Amino acid sequence: MTWAVFRRALVYVLLSIAAFVSVFPFFWMIIGATNTSADIIRGKTSIGGALLTNAATFFTQVDAPRIFFNSAFIAIVGTVLTLIISSLAGYGFEMFRSRFRERIFALLLLLLSIPFAAMMVPLFVMFSQAKLVNTYVAVIAPTVASIFIIFYFRQATKAFPRELRDAARIDGLSEWQIFLYVYLPVMRSTYAAATIIVFMANWNNYLWPLIVLQTADNKTITLILSALTSAYTPDYGMLLFGTVLATLPTLVIFFVLQRRFVEGMLGAVK
Amino acid sequence: MSSLKLSGVRKSYGAVEVIKGVDLDIESKEFVVFVGPSGCGKSTLLRMIAGLEEITAGELDIGGKRMNGVDPSKRGIAMVFQSYALYPHMTVRENMGFALRFAKVPKEQIERQVLEAARILALDPLLDRFPKELSGGQRQRVAIGRAIVRQPEVFLFDEPLSNLDAELRVHMRIEIARLHKELQATIIYVTHDQVEAMTLADKIVVLRDGVIEQVGKPLELYDNPANQFVAGFIGSPKMNFLPARIVQKDAGTAVIELVHHEGVRLSLPLAGGAVGDLVTLGIRPEHFGLPGEGAADMTLEVDVAEHLGSTSYVYARAAGEPIIIEREESRDQGDQERITVSVDPSRTYLFDQAGQRIR
Amino acid sequence: MAQARLERKEQINGWAFVAPALVLLGLFMIYPIVWSLWMSFQVGKGMNLSFGGFANIIRLTKDPVFLRALGNTFTFFIVQVPIMIVLALLFAVALNDATLRFRGLFRTAIFVPCVTSLIAYSTVFKSMFATDGIINQTLMALHLISGPISWFGDPFWAKVAIIIAITWRWTGYNMIFYLAALQNIDRSIYEAARIDGVPAWARFRYLTIPMLKPVILFTTVVSTIGTLQLFDEVYNFTAGTGGPSDSTVTLSLYIYNLTFKFMPSFGYSATVSWVIVLVVAVLSFLQFLVARDRRRA
Repeated sequence: MTWAVFRRALVYVLLSIAAFVSVFPFFWMIIGATNTSADIIRGKTSIGGALLTNAATFFTQVDAPRIFFNSAFIAIVGTVLTLIISSLAGYGFEMFRSRFRERIFALLLLLLSIPFAAMMVPLFVMFSQAKLVNTYVAVIAPTVASIFIIFYFRQATKAFPRELRDAARIDGLSEWQIFLYVYLPVMRSTYAAATIIVFMANWNNYLWPLIVLQTADNKTITLILSALTSAYTPDYGMLLFGTVLATLPTLVIFFVLQRRFVEGMLGAVK
Repeated sequence: MSSLKLSGVRKSYGAVEVIKGVDLDIESKEFVVFVGPSGCGKSTLLRMIAGLEEITAGELDIGGKRMNGVDPSKRGIAMVFQSYALYPHMTVRENMGFALRFAKVPKEQIERQVLEAARILALDPLLDRFPKELSGGQRQRVAIGRAIVRQPEVFLFDEPLSNLDAELRVHMRIEIARLHKELQATIIYVTHDQVEAMTLADKIVVLRDGVIEQVGKPLELYDNPANQFVAGFIGSPKMNFLPARIVQKDAGTAVIELVHHEGVRLSLPLAGGAVGDLVTLGIRPEHFGLPGEGAADMTLEVDVAEHLGSTSYVYARAAGEPIIIEREESRDQGDQERITVSVDPSRTYLFDQAGQRIR
Repeated sequence: MAQARLERKEQINGWAFVAPALVLLGLFMIYPIVWSLWMSFQVGKGMNLSFGGFANIIRLTKDPVFLRALGNTFTFFIVQVPIMIVLALLFAVALNDATLRFRGLFRTAIFVPCVTSLIAYSTVFKSMFATDGIINQTLMALHLISGPISWFGDPFWAKVAIIIAITWRWTGYNMIFYLAALQNIDRSIYEAARIDGVPAWARFRYLTIPMLKPVILFTTVVSTIGTLQLFDEVYNFTAGTGGPSDSTVTLSLYIYNLTFKFMPSFGYSATVSWVIVLVVAVLSFLQFLVARDRRRA
């Protein structure tokens, strides 16, 4: 066997292990959702018959419609707002340069290194004083202007052909119209990639909603499941059922937007 | 310096055959140009010689040794790519010396060879610059320098001048020709530009659809194309092709008449063929004479006349077919007029309906 | 005249596009940061605050939990980030080969963990790493260990479990960045190196890595920031305790506890959060430094 063939085989083995390790927990989760808690703990890896029982337990313990609505509302509204505001800013920074704004941008990059922990207390106090604790606004508002997404859009805009804007200007479009009718359609894959990233971040957002959402019926599925997991003897079957439900939206969005996502990432890393 | 031999070389991608049986001999120190339209397989053939593509069938010998399946680095070749492929994070000096570091060559010798190559290519002042600080022509020279340093048996060039502007291309062409003389190297050069082929090559290989159409010295191909494709490919502007018919046939000669210009008859030496056969008459734009000079005259409607100063190109029409005439001293020829040219049979070519040359 | 007017329009538009984001950032980032800085000089419980000068900083040096949190956070960083970056690089290089089969499948599979909901993977990992869970069972079946590891009961193994979890989660993310960067590299560069006899390991070390330097730097800085702020995984895996016996407490968890669990010491927790800022700044700076130096060599 030549070295080249051996190396190629090694690559396949390595990647297969990586793929297996990556996917196994999902597989385990789905299997687990169909088994009883006792079976799961014993390490059963085959499909069981407890799916409906787990579902029943889950839906009695959790006000699913309400909770999922919370998560969905926060994630969807948050994602839409973030995309709008952050892409506008990224576009603005890249297309309309000025020395002063460059310095502001540099400052923003520095701010990226500020941990959320440094801001969560003042933010909480702010929202308490505004009597907005335990509301959707409180959860969504601080995440809308995302420096990371602004940076991402700025990078991606570097690849946007200036000629398109010049041609549109000659045709008499206003800057806002150019953004809407020329930029948006061209940058579809960037938006797709950003949607996945932002939606995921919002759906999975933990610390801030934990701080700000106080009553059970305002909490997100992430928080609720987390609380249930900390029970002394958790019902893993029910829990895994819940996690399957909780994972579905992000998985769906990912698979729908997947191809655009890779295009989008390729476009930004230049 | 080494010779090469290709015998029955074929290449397939799955069910699609792209190189369909190539036989070729390349002498040591010869400058051979592979030329042809896009998709003819010239780059593929070059990459097969380099070892970057597998040879599906047939044999490749370099310097007398069988090289099928041999690792590219062990074939005694060096390659210059169309995009130069310079290492962006290394200086010119490092770019050129990089490969030698792994050939267990002592550092002083690497330095010496790099400096020598830099001298040949006038890269001395640029040795500590990075590729992004260089112009296109300079990057090109670094790519060539990187190849020279390895002292290969054969140099391979893959469309090296395609990314340069017209003026630079002429300059670099001369540089490469000079290099060939100075290095006494065997060079295989791929291009789609027949001017580069004509000016640089000792031997031109014309390829189409994975098949060699003709091999020969540049002027041989110009004077004596083997088929209609080569006749049309070599020479700029393109040779004109006019349909004709044999109207009289004696042993050794034939009289042909242009289909769309009854009255234009030429007597040409021709061995085979019979009366009534359809043929194609080829005549280069520069081979039309003034009226009365040749055996027959043709009057044509002019579409456009381009005047470049010393020469003029007249784009005319003959019964709907486009004809290009190249002529000196035709400044007065205007658009939308008529022009009369003469045809000298000794400067024409005959092709059969399959495109093959008939004599 | 028209030129000046054109420039003014540029300026107005420039500000118009970035203004909404800047306003929000000012409100929800700048203001809290400034407030937090001011806060770090205050002492007292709850809302009884008074100026304490450097008292908080002094308290830091004597606080055993803080020091342990600092140590843990650092341990997570030092171990997890390099492993993840190296793995992501290897996977990306392996997947960059156009002749490899099932490329798309592998790539999607390795990336899928990043799309998981936090809760999903916490729950799954917790049950997989339970003392009688599947991980232990597999390890014992392979005879790699003789008895079950008490993953979340042992200070050392708890850290290991968390590191495994984070690496599982985020390797695919970094891999995609590297893949995208690799695909932007001119293929001829590698062909030229092959022809010139540069061996594969040297192509990786002297060509791939240096050409990927900007992306690698970006991902390490982002990963550094992420790991130093580690909260979600630790909180979920250890039910908020940072146990066992504070062996997995991170700085962020400590801040959370200081603010919301114990009798809130806003001032002190603000100080701790500024420690994170400082560490992140120093480490990021160091990473930039390392990246720059090697270029000259």
